[in-house]
Amino acid sequence: MRRALAGLLSVFVLWEAAARGLDLPTYVLPSVTRIVQAIVDQRALLLKAAGMTVMEAVVGFGIGSLAGLLLAIVLTMLPAVRRSVLPVATALNSVPVVAYAPLILLWFGMGPESKIVMVALAVGFTVFLHALSGLDRVDPRAVDLMRSFGADRAAILWRLRLPAAIPLTAAGMRVSTVRAMIVAIVTEMLGATGGLGWTIFQAVLQIDFVQVWAAIFVASAISLLFFGTVNLLEKRYVFWR
Amino acid sequence: MSETAHTGATGATGRAGTGAGAVVLRGVATVAVIALVWEGVVVAAGIKPYYLPRLSVILSAIAALPQAYLAGFVRTLSETLLGYAAGALVGVMNGVLFYRSRWLRETVFPLFVISQTIPVIAFGAVVVLWFGNTILAKALIAFYLTFFPVTVNTLTGLEAVDKRQVDLLRSFGATRKQLLFQLQLPSALPQIFVALRLACTLSLLGAIAGEWFGDTTGLGVLLLQAMYNEQFVALWAAILMAGLLGTSFYGVVAWAEHKTVFWRSEL
Repeated sequence: MRRALAGLLSVFVLWEAAARGLDLPTYVLPSVTRIVQAIVDQRALLLKAAGMTVMEAVVGFGIGSLAGLLLAIVLTMLPAVRRSVLPVATALNSVPVVAYAPLILLWFGMGPESKIVMVALAVGFTVFLHALSGLDRVDPRAVDLMRSFGADRAAILWRLRLPAAIPLTAAGMRVSTVRAMIVAIVTEMLGATGGLGWTIFQAVLQIDFVQVWAAIFVASAISLLFFGTVNLLEKRYVFWR
Repeated sequence: MSETAHTGATGATGRAGTGAGAVVLRGVATVAVIALVWEGVVVAAGIKPYYLPRLSVILSAIAALPQAYLAGFVRTLSETLLGYAAGALVGVMNGVLFYRSRWLRETVFPLFVISQTIPVIAFGAVVVLWFGNTILAKALIAFYLTFFPVTVNTLTGLEAVDKRQVDLLRSFGATRKQLLFQLQLPSALPQIFVALRLACTLSLLGAIAGEWFGDTTGLGVLLLQAMYNEQFVALWAAILMAGLLGTSFYGVVAWAEHKTVFWRSEL
């Protein structure tokens, strides 16, 4: 952790030195101090944009994780349905999720709803696939043992499969945090009423490079925070891993 | 009861038919069934084209303008492949480097992790500003998305190599190079392939989103144009092409995995 911070700091120092020493024009690379200055100057605007993006990412993340896990459980309980649903899910998953973005935008409008749906879709698939393979990853002998003691399918699910699936599901959720932010930002770029992606796109159109970098900095900091939080929760509650 | 017994087995059935012919046949059958269900449901339920156009309508839209879709397909494919190949290569080399050098692993590797939490697409705007609307800019975004998972999995795979095997080979006088190419990399291959499969979708995502910053050809451009004109059939046609690209790309990598890592094919 300390080494990572030291590394990050040295990257910033190098960056600053390069931008100032080589006198790089802002469209190539603005100096870190200028970017930070811009963030401070426009904190109200950036805060509002960040709040919107975070809301979309977090709500979408929650809906997606829940839906993914529930679908995985239902399909594990109904093997017959699973055999027909799984190929379709895999096919849908191989279409890059951004390809659906224009369609979702047309369906749900420019507001935050379309971003939430996109994030939920992206997160949902990842969590679903992770949870499904986690639910399968139980020792068949343990299943047989429980069954021989008269446990029904629900009991096996609750006591054996779910605890076994949680580590992998949590890993899927951790991977999804970054993706949730990316998808929210990408969808905002296509069309939105606010948010960091929208801010970045507007700044690109106005050729305001410092603003672009300021928004990237804010987005990265939030992503890191989000990732760190989920990682911490995972370490704390999935202790039996 | 027999139903329950099936649950554990279904995960394995996907791999059970080992013959390549059987796999292809099953794939074709699945596609055919999905196509029939799609067409049938849309017609039977009277779904508006606004939500889901008939598959036949979409296909004929593609057939009406084959050059445009083909050009977009080829363009996006080359961007993706360029970035993917470079990312895979650099990723494996990085993994080996991190494995060899503890210092690098402790100082540079955390930076890599942090760099991956940066919403790449935001960075994509800057990349396109730097390189203009060239194929290189999109390939670079695809590269950035590919190399990290490959680096991480190469490192994990190398670290999981049995120490006793290393000692054995070393006792027979194997050089570091021999160790790497005869034992460590082959042992890490299953892990590396997991990342390579994941990176398929990621690199394609990078290429498509990269095209949104004002390119003229590519599947991302087709998507954007269809959205602005609210042409649902064209939009679905572009989605279908992206799906075709994604699925075949993934299929090729999965096939390569099946051929190379024949000794272990789980996950």
